[in-house]
Amino acid sequence: MFDIEKTKKDFPILDQKMNGQRLVYLDNAATTQKPKKVIDTISEFYEKYNANTHRGIYQLSEKATFLYEEAREKVRAFIGAEKTEEVIFTRGTTESINLVAYSWGRKNIEKGDEILLTAMEHHSNIVPWQLLAKEKGAILKFIPVNKSGELIIEDIDQYFTKRTKLLALIHVSNALGVVNPVKQIIAKAHTKNVPVLLDGAQSVPHMPVNVQDLDCDFFAFSGHKMLGPTGIGALYVREDILEEMPPFLSGGSMIREVTMEDTQFEDLPIKFEAGTMPIAQVIGLGAAIDYLNSIGMEEIWKHEQEIVNYALDKVRAIDGVTVYGPEEKVERSGVVSFAIDGVHPHDTASILDEAGVAIRAGHHCTQPLLRAIGTETTARASFYIYNDKKDVDQLVEAINKAIKILK
Amino acid sequence: MSTSDIYREDILDHAKNPRNQDKLSDFDFEYKENNPVCGDTIILQLKFDKQKKIKAISFTGNGCTVSQAAASMLFESVKGKTVGEVKKLSSKDVLDLLGVETFTPSRMKCALLSLEALKKGIKK
Repeated sequence: MFDIEKTKKDFPILDQKMNGQRLVYLDNAATTQKPKKVIDTISEFYEKYNANTHRGIYQLSEKATFLYEEAREKVRAFIGAEKTEEVIFTRGTTESINLVAYSWGRKNIEKGDEILLTAMEHHSNIVPWQLLAKEKGAILKFIPVNKSGELIIEDIDQYFTKRTKLLALIHVSNALGVVNPVKQIIAKAHTKNVPVLLDGAQSVPHMPVNVQDLDCDFFAFSGHKMLGPTGIGALYVREDILEEMPPFLSGGSMIREVTMEDTQFEDLPIKFEAGTMPIAQVIGLGAAIDYLNSIGMEEIWKHEQEIVNYALDKVRAIDGVTVYGPEEKVERSGVVSFAIDGVHPHDTASILDEAGVAIRAGHHCTQPLLRAIGTETTARASFYIYNDKKDVDQLVEAINKAIKILK
Repeated sequence: MSTSDIYREDILDHAKNPRNQDKLSDFDFEYKENNPVCGDTIILQLKFDKQKKIKAISFTGNGCTVSQAAASMLFESVKGKTVGEVKKLSSKDVLDLLGVETFTPSRMKCALLSLEALKKGIKK
């Protein structure tokens, strides 16, 4: 059974005061805190096993390589990929999407082709495609959202044409917590022979994810949003697609043989991991996955549902506060996006900070989405496994204080 | 200084009722500046007189209390100033207008957005 009190104690950073108040960290959609186990694993690597991977003929290097590849296997199992070769380590979701745009995109997208996105995307799943489209003379199309910030997909067929070459969409909205019915969307796209890239930055950390069950072709996510260190993330690509993809970054490690004229590339997945990788971070990500598994993703999702629904009820009950996103009770990740009417979210965040509550205020890298639901900025509280109802109560108290000062 | 200190009566007054909001029908330049962190924007219009002094100024846009109050106070204060005088304005001058010693780095950007708009606009 999930023990929140015990879980909180696993995160050293949470045991501190902010402006004399108990620190309540509610910016988990931006990045998450790290359990002691992850921090210790990284320190232990540097204290005992640090060496470069894949090339050394000495024991330290072999141990480092073993730990690195062991972490890849943990990632494979965690996202339900069939083969470890399908898991490429990257710097995070942004680099993963860029890798697909530069490698797969440059090879497969031609003038007049269409790339289908949605209005819900994080900028990291818009800008790489804009650059590619400009380079190739391709066209970007967007599945729109309604005023609640949900995709309008009752008649999804209309968005696909003969020129649609890729659908790239967000699994769970970072700004609103909306969970997209991606399995149905992917099945539909596949009937049109359109491959699908999922931005899983906000899904993998919070809910059970199985890329084979979803049947996606590309899946991108970040380690730091799931208790792991910064600077590491991964990209899953189905093997038959990955085999046909040219390298992204090139140089050391990813080669078999280099002559002055030409290069034979390494096998998958090393072909896509040029240069010395962030080895300690990869191993730290493995430790984060162990930690999440020790609680269980079903339990984590259940806990978040409880907290977010509690928070939605409490925040909606405050007079003069607008909560964005779907109003009806739908499955929703741990995000409450709101605004005090007539008050800029930055001011709200400043006063909440004084009350020890860390939230995000701004456009959350989703300007097209926020404009579509009729605003420029929101204040966003986002929850994770170490947040409890007491945290929500402190948030609500701080919002009331902000209203008193600012209105 | 605690955060609530920046939400003083006079600052809130300028933020809620910013001065010089009416668009100018005749102006020498218009300049738009935004803060990518929060999406605050300021659109500035300026009209000089024959002596190259600021005769009229107007701004519109949206943003937090700090950015809007700073813009309102700063632009009100530069009426009648020459281009040379505006170029000499420092971040300290804006903080003095607000009556605030300092801000956290992220809020400092909000406070100085209007000064940046003014200086960049004049340079153009």
